[in-house]
Amino acid sequence: MNRLGFLVGIAFGFVVAGAGLHEYDTIHDMLLLRDIHVYLILASGVGTAMPLLWLMQRRRVKTPLGGTIELYNATVEPKNVFGGMTFGTGWAVAGTCPAPAIAMATGGGFLAVFVIAGLGVGLWLRDAMTGGSGLKSLSQVFKKAPRQPDAISET
Amino acid sequence: MDFLPDRLPWFIAGPSMGLLVVALYALGNKHLGVSGGYVQVMTGVRRPRMAEMWRVWFIAGLILGSLVLSLLRGGQSFGLEYGALSRLLPLGALIPVLFLGGMLMGFGARWAGGCTSGHGLSGTAARSPASFVATISFLATAIVITFAIHFATGGRL
Repeated sequence: MNRLGFLVGIAFGFVVAGAGLHEYDTIHDMLLLRDIHVYLILASGVGTAMPLLWLMQRRRVKTPLGGTIELYNATVEPKNVFGGMTFGTGWAVAGTCPAPAIAMATGGGFLAVFVIAGLGVGLWLRDAMTGGSGLKSLSQVFKKAPRQPDAISET
Repeated sequence: MDFLPDRLPWFIAGPSMGLLVVALYALGNKHLGVSGGYVQVMTGVRRPRMAEMWRVWFIAGLILGSLVLSLLRGGQSFGLEYGALSRLLPLGALIPVLFLGGMLMGFGARWAGGCTSGHGLSGTAARSPASFVATISFLATAIVITFAIHFATGGRL
């Protein structure tokens, strides 16, 4: 699984940087609705994955490393809206998001380091504030069993 | 070595990302998401044995993959450049703004249960209702805020 994660990460980082998603101007122009490049990437990415995932789910595909396929499926909660609004604000300000920020840094853009540091602090802060999905629950996890299988909902 | 186009066309980049989401599900039954990887890296630093290691490896892969691409493009362009933002703001203002932007993203991603990758790309592809809502929420907000920034700066951003 670690090897798979590493390989998918390499390819993902390659494509993110290759498509120019790590550049402030790309994201800024996308959000100013000047450039549909990123929307086309997102739409074609989802359009490619959705039918294939649906098919695998329908056929109850057995995966070599993780048992029968089970797609992420979470019901709508207010946190999706409010968290999304908070994320969207930061996205607009920094013109980058978690994966592109890494690609920006590895491309030599030193300032991305501050975005990444902010990301770490923000993620940690939210954890520290909540008992539900936060450090408190993490600290409980530390004492007990490994993370629950539903940890996927915390991606 | 500068044989790559400035940016891969969308019809290559988009489907490739989609296929990576599919590959991770098909081989490992796992959901692709980057902010979750950040969390696992931080967990791994504190308690290595409690981290979901594959997510830590995923982040390591992101670093390597994007590094390789920039090397293929003719090497890193080291600098303090940050697109139009660095042409408008002096460094002393830019750094706190970027840090704050990152913080809002981190906080919001953890709150919403995912970011542009975990909800926007793989969550919607998995047809998760929460992901559609989160994606609409962050995309709409980001567009509104970006236009607000655009007008507040007199069109310089």
